[in-house]
Amino acid sequence: MKILTTVKRVVDVELNIHIENGAIVEDGLQYVINAWDENGVEAAVQLKEKNGAQTTLVSIGGQDNTDMIRKCYAMGMEDAILIDDPALVSADAFAFARILQTVYEKGDYDLVITGKQAQDTDSGQTGIILAEYLQLPCVSNVISIEVMDEAHIRVSRLGDSGTEIVEITLPAVVTVSDSINEPRLPAMRGIMMAKKKKIQTLDLAALGTSAEAVGGAAPKSEIVEFMKSKTRKAGQKFEGDAAQITAQVVELLANEAKVF
Amino acid sequence: MAKILVIADIKEGVLKGSTAELLSKAKTLSAQTAVVAIGSNVESLVADLAAAGSDTQYIADDKSLELFSAGPYAACVVAAAQQFEADMIWFGFSEAGKAVAPRVAAQLNAACATEIIDVTLEGEKIQVVRPAIAGKVIQRIQVNTQTLVAVVRAGAFAANPGITGTQNMVKLSIPAPDLKAVIKQILSDASGEIDLADADIVVSVGRGARDQAGIDLVRELARDLSAGFGSSRAMVDGGFMAHNKQVGQTGKIVAPTLYMAMGISGAIQHLAGMTGSKTILAVNKDPEAPIFNVADYGIVGDLFEVIPILRQEIKKIRG
Repeated sequence: MKILTTVKRVVDVELNIHIENGAIVEDGLQYVINAWDENGVEAAVQLKEKNGAQTTLVSIGGQDNTDMIRKCYAMGMEDAILIDDPALVSADAFAFARILQTVYEKGDYDLVITGKQAQDTDSGQTGIILAEYLQLPCVSNVISIEVMDEAHIRVSRLGDSGTEIVEITLPAVVTVSDSINEPRLPAMRGIMMAKKKKIQTLDLAALGTSAEAVGGAAPKSEIVEFMKSKTRKAGQKFEGDAAQITAQVVELLANEAKVF
Repeated sequence: MAKILVIADIKEGVLKGSTAELLSKAKTLSAQTAVVAIGSNVESLVADLAAAGSDTQYIADDKSLELFSAGPYAACVVAAAQQFEADMIWFGFSEAGKAVAPRVAAQLNAACATEIIDVTLEGEKIQVVRPAIAGKVIQRIQVNTQTLVAVVRAGAFAANPGITGTQNMVKLSIPAPDLKAVIKQILSDASGEIDLADADIVVSVGRGARDQAGIDLVRELARDLSAGFGSSRAMVDGGFMAHNKQVGQTGKIVAPTLYMAMGISGAIQHLAGMTGSKTILAVNKDPEAPIFNVADYGIVGDLFEVIPILRQEIKKIRG
């Protein structure tokens, strides 16, 4: 089974974000691998270990993505494709999906695994749009993947009424939830080996396409302004005798907050 | 006049509140409204769907649609959108909505925005507002296409009971089932407990509860208040709480009148799911826990000690 995993480099959400003139201040931002894509990489590597799957990752970005790709190599991914093209600066999910479609069609993949959303946009669209473009079955929010045979996998998915067990005919796309696994910490040996591995880097022309063809030049929607969210302020914090402070808080909830 | 198609949120034969919320907002934007209801035995909801604020009800009613399947559901929405000539297609917040919306957008060559908290229409220009970066920033997005597909964040719009519609049912043809992704079973997590999305008070449990005894203690508090019972990710991953109880960036986003965080430290991913609450009470042993940065009232203490007192004091006030 050949697996294609998508990996995105995203802003570290743990840090403070500053906004100036409607834009995010770049200075001080740190970037990390999208947490959900890390779950996707772990899922792919586990399928390699359990079922002998071949694993390839694809990432869209620039040379800054290299560290992240080497981390995925250290976790056990076997091949990596980096799509690096300056024309992609204003690409939206649809353009990313077109690029991934082109990468998919150049290979012979049975399964595409993406994280269910990117932690910077929280959009959750790209994997599903990719499946639509490829006309492949797609199951999102997956928490387990089991190989039934060469052409079928069984996944469980967090749906609205409970956990859905779905049987999928390959090739297919799945988007994974963070509940699917705990991504491994790469061992030192993996990290050393990762340093020597090649990363295939292609621009859109080398991929056989162009910014126009993928719709990269004309995004369907674009961010025109960033604003800081209204942050909640810390309220009153009480320490001391449990009986006393709890009674005090309940009184405030009733008479000040008026929730009782 | 813009045309807005709302996808009805139906769970176990009941029309959920988000449908009326989305239709109220649509009518507030002076739009012509329609609704699409997909499932089994949904035709019986036409009157409710009209009362919620829709002037046309597209119905796809068939046993084959009883269980959610993204492909056929997307096909029904696309059919309704094309017949209605919708400018905007809105889904309420649900896993089904999140799975279907991007497909619909791709098929219609429309823009797609998820987790939106506001929509504005200036002539034909559509703009949406949505949170990003775990809720730390708000994005204002300009839509460049004629049509927008959106998934609306829970509680973003308010239902106006004064807004209603007219009954005008249109039957949709039933799409073929998706033979390549077949649901074999649903392990229901219906616990008979209140749906977090509908609860006016939510009590959530975190790692501070330690084990089943702690969970049961917090559950008792939730029961006293007829509250929704939620969880941080830690207790879900620990196997103590079902996945559908998780409040957070990738779980449920809730905005109740009162949110009680019991033994929850306040990781960013959790905060993203509840900082919209009107009043927040937190109980945690650690005075430095980040939850206290957003709580209106914080009690530094062990929840095993505090909860019995809390229940007692609340009973005194509420009777």
